[in-house]
Amino acid sequence: MKKIVALFIAILMVASVLAACGGNGGSGGSGEKASALTVNIWDANQQKGIQEIADKWTETSGVKVNVEVVDWDNYWTLLEAGASGGTMPDVFWMHSNTVQMYMENDILLDLTDYVDKDSSIDMSKYYEGVKDLYTRSDGKIFALPKDHDTIALLYNKAIFDEYGVDYPTSDWTWDDMYEAAKAITEGSDGSIYGMAMNTSNNQDGWYNLVYSYGGKVITDDHKGTTIGSDEAKAGMEMMRKLLTVGAPQSVVAETGTDSLFQSGKTAMITQGSWMINSFYTAEFHDDYAWALLPYADVNGNGTCEKEERWSAYNGLGWAANANVSDPESCYSLIAYFCSEEGQKLQAEKGVTMGGMTGVSDAFADAFPGMDISPFLEAEDYSLYFRPYTRNTTVWEDALQQAGAFLDPWQNPEDADLMATACDNAQKIIEDAIANE
Amino acid sequence: MKQKTLRKKRTKAQKREMIWALCFIAPTIIGLIVLNFYPVINTLWQSFCKTGDFGKGNTFIGFENYGKVFASSEVWHSLWNTIKYALIEVPFGVVIALILAVFLNKKLKGTSLFRTIFFLPMVCAPAAVAMVWKWLYNQQFGLLNNVFGTNVAWISDPKIAWISIGIIGVWSVIGYNMVLFISGLQEIPGDYYEAAEIDGATGIRQFFHITVPLLSPTTFFIVQTRIIGALTIFDLMFMVMDKTNLALQNTQSIVYLFYDYAFTQGNKGYGATIVIFLVIFIMIVTFILQRAEKKLVYHP
Repeated sequence: MKKIVALFIAILMVASVLAACGGNGGSGGSGEKASALTVNIWDANQQKGIQEIADKWTETSGVKVNVEVVDWDNYWTLLEAGASGGTMPDVFWMHSNTVQMYMENDILLDLTDYVDKDSSIDMSKYYEGVKDLYTRSDGKIFALPKDHDTIALLYNKAIFDEYGVDYPTSDWTWDDMYEAAKAITEGSDGSIYGMAMNTSNNQDGWYNLVYSYGGKVITDDHKGTTIGSDEAKAGMEMMRKLLTVGAPQSVVAETGTDSLFQSGKTAMITQGSWMINSFYTAEFHDDYAWALLPYADVNGNGTCEKEERWSAYNGLGWAANANVSDPESCYSLIAYFCSEEGQKLQAEKGVTMGGMTGVSDAFADAFPGMDISPFLEAEDYSLYFRPYTRNTTVWEDALQQAGAFLDPWQNPEDADLMATACDNAQKIIEDAIANE
Repeated sequence: MKQKTLRKKRTKAQKREMIWALCFIAPTIIGLIVLNFYPVINTLWQSFCKTGDFGKGNTFIGFENYGKVFASSEVWHSLWNTIKYALIEVPFGVVIALILAVFLNKKLKGTSLFRTIFFLPMVCAPAAVAMVWKWLYNQQFGLLNNVFGTNVAWISDPKIAWISIGIIGVWSVIGYNMVLFISGLQEIPGDYYEAAEIDGATGIRQFFHITVPLLSPTTFFIVQTRIIGALTIFDLMFMVMDKTNLALQNTQSIVYLFYDYAFTQGNKGYGATIVIFLVIFIMIVTFILQRAEKKLVYHP
């Protein structure tokens, strides 16, 4: 009897191992139509909407789609491991941090021929920065633009009311933001911070100050930086002033700026449009409102010129695995996501703004009760594409840490520290680019 | 010559037995080769290379990576951080566990309940443990500061962050050490204690003159495995410390540094070199410990 039980257990174990091995639907074999596609994304906020759009595609194609979320850090570890010899998902997101490395190594499915044959995809309709990002230097296309995002100022009306400070307006300069933050921090004796920004809030934070004042974190040819220039230093000097009335570094390093904001400990943060949903569904969302990012009155005429207000924009791309068994279906899914219909659905459902121009108006209406028009208005001013080079993570991480901007963040009273940090940053970026 | 005769003597049945034996250990051997030996050799090879993306295009560069590692203050600083962590975790983890084990080895009511409670941290996933402690330590909303009415930056003050991390390590490891100690204690014959009692030895004298020497093989085993464990610590720092935390520099362990280079920055070759550096260091420590074993451990 015992033997039979033992045998039974052994068989069960073997069977479960085999089942685990055979679990991946898409890969292996070639030319056959897949019955299901695996899609990997990193943003849980978008999972529901993306799955709904994918289900629409399933209705016509008959191929099931499983959308799986892997958080940002693990996403890249897993994808790289998959690319190095494991199994990759069939269709997945690409990002400006890493896409060049993936394109150069032919990890991604070449979409050029499919796009050429497909009359429904017109590459000129997409945002140029996003389109260029996913096109290799030899003109081959490896991902279609999924979306674009912009940055705005998020503030807590209840805190502004409590301390009798006027709400942010579209005429605000960064100095106005400083005054308001100062009034709140001082009015509350430091129990509530006027604003909060961590060194890691780059695209959604201090990069925008650098550009407003005329500096460039990465130059347009992606081969250099002007972060050590006087213009960039002026921007970072403004940043330093804001930090003197904002949450200290020790606080934001332990509790993220988003959590500080949602727990009513800080009155203002800057955030990207990809985060709207998490604030829209937050407990006290009635108190939250968005405003245009402040501008820098560089020429001193008191009005905002187009080139005085800058918002970063970035766009994800839909890419597929180069070794996928059923490239036709993968392309078809990507093309649907990036078609006018898919892009409009994406905006309507409040997932994100589109990668295609002129499809995002519905996005503003996707959040009844919360006015998110500043994200769309930001496009009337200047946009810069999120700074990237071939291996962005290397310098991006270094800039956040000690030896670069963590030092002035730690001690914002010292103006020289910020200027030194800008010089250090110049060197960090130049060295990193030289090593790429 | 003797070997040869032995070989000849092997019968058919013995041969068949050997084949079967090989079959039975094959899963383990294959597992070891695929999951341990191959990665070890590959890591060693990568440490001599400038690695390309996605494991392609590695170029041999000799000892260049090693030169960089030895010249890097960051690596030495991380090694020192790791040693500091070990200096907290190993002594405190061992002493506290030993005291608890002695108490819980007595025939008291509820010992099994207490044993379970102390062992619980060992059952929890390290990542979950780290997350809970991270919130306990939080300066703004943390339980510690709230209960004591203090405003200490437990994990972002570079002066104390390494101690805070060490405390989590001690807490996590006590249960495991304790169970090993209890099993060691149960192997000490009760006669010794009876004889000592008749001679009039107090409980404390008994502890230092009977328990400690007779337990020394177990203690040595625990110390040695815990030193190796502490030197390869990674998850605590990774989960508790944010990248923008100023104290990170003073707490990041050497495995954390390896992770950062190999996986975040994608510089596999340099990462591999850091790990080989750590392996060599652990080998030296283990060698010294093995040499000291004869002197430190009491063999009756």
